[in-house]
Amino acid sequence: MNPLIYVTIIGAGVLLCLLRMLLGPSGADRAVAVDTAATVTTALLVLLGFVFERYVYLDVALVYAVLTFVGSVVIARYLEGGIR
Amino acid sequence: MIVFQTFLVLVMIVAALAAAGFRDLLGSVIACSLVSLMASIIFYFLQAPDVAMAEASIGAGLTTAIFIFAISKTKRHEENEKTD
Repeated sequence: MNPLIYVTIIGAGVLLCLLRMLLGPSGADRAVAVDTAATVTTALLVLLGFVFERYVYLDVALVYAVLTFVGSVVIARYLEGGIR
Repeated sequence: MIVFQTFLVLVMIVAALAAAGFRDLLGSVIACSLVSLMASIIFYFLQAPDVAMAEASIGAGLTTAIFIFAISKTKRHEENEKTD
């Protein structure tokens, strides 16, 4: 199928996450919005690996998924009040 | 695909302006994380997966964690204006 369909749907998801990041009243809303955008983008990286037909590109998605989790954990610990 | 790259650049610009404009420093750090995410995707589109991987590891993991630790040592909100 045409990869433009996938890319359009994922672009709509990124746009909605951007809106929530801009409008979110509290810090937790913004953190969750960017975390969701990172998850959607990881799916985009996997899809583009298949579209470009270079399966080495899947490593980038793997590294990104792992490191985004670290960032989310740090933000969550800060919001909870664990980091002093 | 060039339309989608333009969309990603626009998202990156809006997130950078938000990072400069937020009075809440936690929101500013999260917006910086979104800028780094979009930069990583643009590197990926430009057929440079190793640069994208380095950008993902530094931008998503390291920079966010270091900024959050710095905010937890100092104050979260900028002064001279009430937020939240």
